[in-house]
Amino acid sequence: MSAFANIFVGGVFHAAVLFLVAAGLQLVFGVQKIVNLACGSFYALGAYFGITFLGYAQEGVGLSPWLILPGLIVAGILLGFIGPPIERLLRTVYGRDESFQLLLTFALVLMFQDVFRFFWGSNPRSLDSSYLIYGAINTQDFSVPVYNLLVIAAAIATAVGLGAFLRRTNYGRILRATAENRAMAEALGVDVRRVYSTVFTLGAVLGTTAGALVVPTAAASLDMAMEFVIEAFAVVVIGGLGSMRGALAGALIVGLVRAFSLVVYPEFEVLAIYLIVIMVLLARPAGLFGRPVV
Amino acid sequence: MAVSRRTLLKSAAAAGALSVAGEVFAPAIAQNKPVRIGLLAPRSGIAAAPGENGIRATQWAVERFNAQAGIAGRKIELVIEEESSPKDTIERFGKLVQQEKVDCVQGIISTGVGLALGPVVEDARVLTIYWDGTTQDGVDEKIPNPRYLFRSTDNECEAVMSSLLTIKHWKGKFVTIAGINPDYSYGRNNMAAFIAILERFGIEHKVVTQQWPKVGTMDLTSHVAALKAAKPNLIFSSLLFADLPVFMKQAHAAELTKNAKLVFPAAGWQHTLMKKEFTPEGMLFGHNTLYFANPNASALAKEFVAWYEKTHKDFPEWEADRAYFAIASYKAAVEKASKAKNGAWPSQDDVIDAMVNLSVESLGGQGSWRKDHIADQSFVQGFTTHKNNYDFVTLGTFETMFSPDLQKPPGANFWEWIKTAQFKV
Repeated sequence: MSAFANIFVGGVFHAAVLFLVAAGLQLVFGVQKIVNLACGSFYALGAYFGITFLGYAQEGVGLSPWLILPGLIVAGILLGFIGPPIERLLRTVYGRDESFQLLLTFALVLMFQDVFRFFWGSNPRSLDSSYLIYGAINTQDFSVPVYNLLVIAAAIATAVGLGAFLRRTNYGRILRATAENRAMAEALGVDVRRVYSTVFTLGAVLGTTAGALVVPTAAASLDMAMEFVIEAFAVVVIGGLGSMRGALAGALIVGLVRAFSLVVYPEFEVLAIYLIVIMVLLARPAGLFGRPVV
Repeated sequence: MAVSRRTLLKSAAAAGALSVAGEVFAPAIAQNKPVRIGLLAPRSGIAAAPGENGIRATQWAVERFNAQAGIAGRKIELVIEEESSPKDTIERFGKLVQQEKVDCVQGIISTGVGLALGPVVEDARVLTIYWDGTTQDGVDEKIPNPRYLFRSTDNECEAVMSSLLTIKHWKGKFVTIAGINPDYSYGRNNMAAFIAILERFGIEHKVVTQQWPKVGTMDLTSHVAALKAAKPNLIFSSLLFADLPVFMKQAHAAELTKNAKLVFPAAGWQHTLMKKEFTPEGMLFGHNTLYFANPNASALAKEFVAWYEKTHKDFPEWEADRAYFAIASYKAAVEKASKAKNGAWPSQDDVIDAMVNLSVESLGGQGSWRKDHIADQSFVQGFTTHKNNYDFVTLGTFETMFSPDLQKPPGANFWEWIKTAQFKV
């Protein structure tokens, strides 16, 4: 039973991080119709900056180790300033063929990689194990760091908060209206440019915060951008492009399938995920929560 | 695979061009011209850190050699190119040979790149010395009798040494074993070698799980959970990129490392990232051909480590030794061949012939070249300790073995050799 719990929590932790990355991807595609490969770079940027920010906060300002989690969330949010200029760049491909979007956002991935190398060097960067200050839950063979549970909680809070924001607030309704029909929203007086800028910044912050949150348990490396973006796309295909509920369901499916396949037959770790992707594409081409294109 | 006439003609033309380039440009004749050495080393991506180690060691060596008489009276000039994908690296190798007109190419860390580049080196006829990446598949199938290519010790040496030390120190203290190894030939071969040697010595064991994360995976919590579920007495891992410290951190958090015996033959590649707080004492830890804190190190090695620490605020790992060994071997071979010709500059063939059986002092100790152009060097492995002044683990007790006891002899099949070798346990 404890083995099952270990595997389950491991899978949900992976799903939580995937959700945060995929949520940004979904939000941006849902409203702006941009397939943003650079969401993986935002994730990597959050990880690198999180390390620098915490280093400064702990050594310079004397931030208590207990405040690592909120400190990293702040670091992720602070990076929101990169959203508007990048969104401005993406305006050149709005309404153009998707291949232009993919090329431009992939170019951003490569450029970000050089930026990381310039500022942080080629060597992987990591934090110490101070995230274990929150302790661990240990019962018999079950053991999980509390920090991992806090990351899961942060992902759930983000999902709930985003849902409430999109459904219950006026600005959320404006976003959804713009996603539904940009021309109509514009005709009704919505400043679509500002909406796009806001949405892209929000998407970027979701990615940077995910990277910052996960870095204490992992490391920041030049290749991490692509590592997650590929899985994030599997999440999006399973859940349905543009659907926030789909991102949540897709992330859980990918995280748990991966975790259990590693126990049952590790060679199938990747295959199992893409078998599900294929099954979903065959049964529901728009994804579990996506709306079919009529 | 179908090969079109056009593709065939293109390949033949490319090979021909490289061959001609090799004939014409290697070696440079004029004595007053500097010796040009091309380096192919990764400076980005997952192998960037070892690539930097190798480049820095080469630069240090060049500075020292040039401060004296260079190589046989000629100064050395480095031309550095990136090692990346096999295709791009082959193109850069062509650039070094054709445009930069280098006398010798050194570098290469990746197994995949090394295997792909090998036949191109032979076609181009340019003396090339690999730092790393010699796998069994490469030794057995791809480049059986190279003329121009010299390669590092077999990649599996460290796994063989770890297996022998595991048997020596922990025989009878484990039954269930688990593996977590990188999902490519290096990881797969190392795990297979470990099991093959246990079988060779009749060690009772049961493999309870084998995890194969792809290189660079940064979230290994699910792998850790799978390992924990399998309840192994011993974990064998040849993880060696940035994923290694991540694994250790996550395994420590899940208390996986508390009771299991740990055998990590390649951990030294990331030694400064193996922090005490999550790396336990007593794990079997491989430093390969350079252990920076070796108290028995030569004056040369101590000088290098001190320079490296002072200049780069870091401590070198084994790729630095491999790179130093490559350039020191080339210098020694040229000077040996030159001496045999009464001081005249030797031809490339003379240099190649002088390399065979040549013994050279490297940072990790004395190394030499076999007749099949494979290196022989010393390997260091031991048990981790926290008793040091660093924030990462070093070795408490350790052993040194010379590669003739760890790698198959020329022409032998690795797996057959394991069955019959006279191992010194």
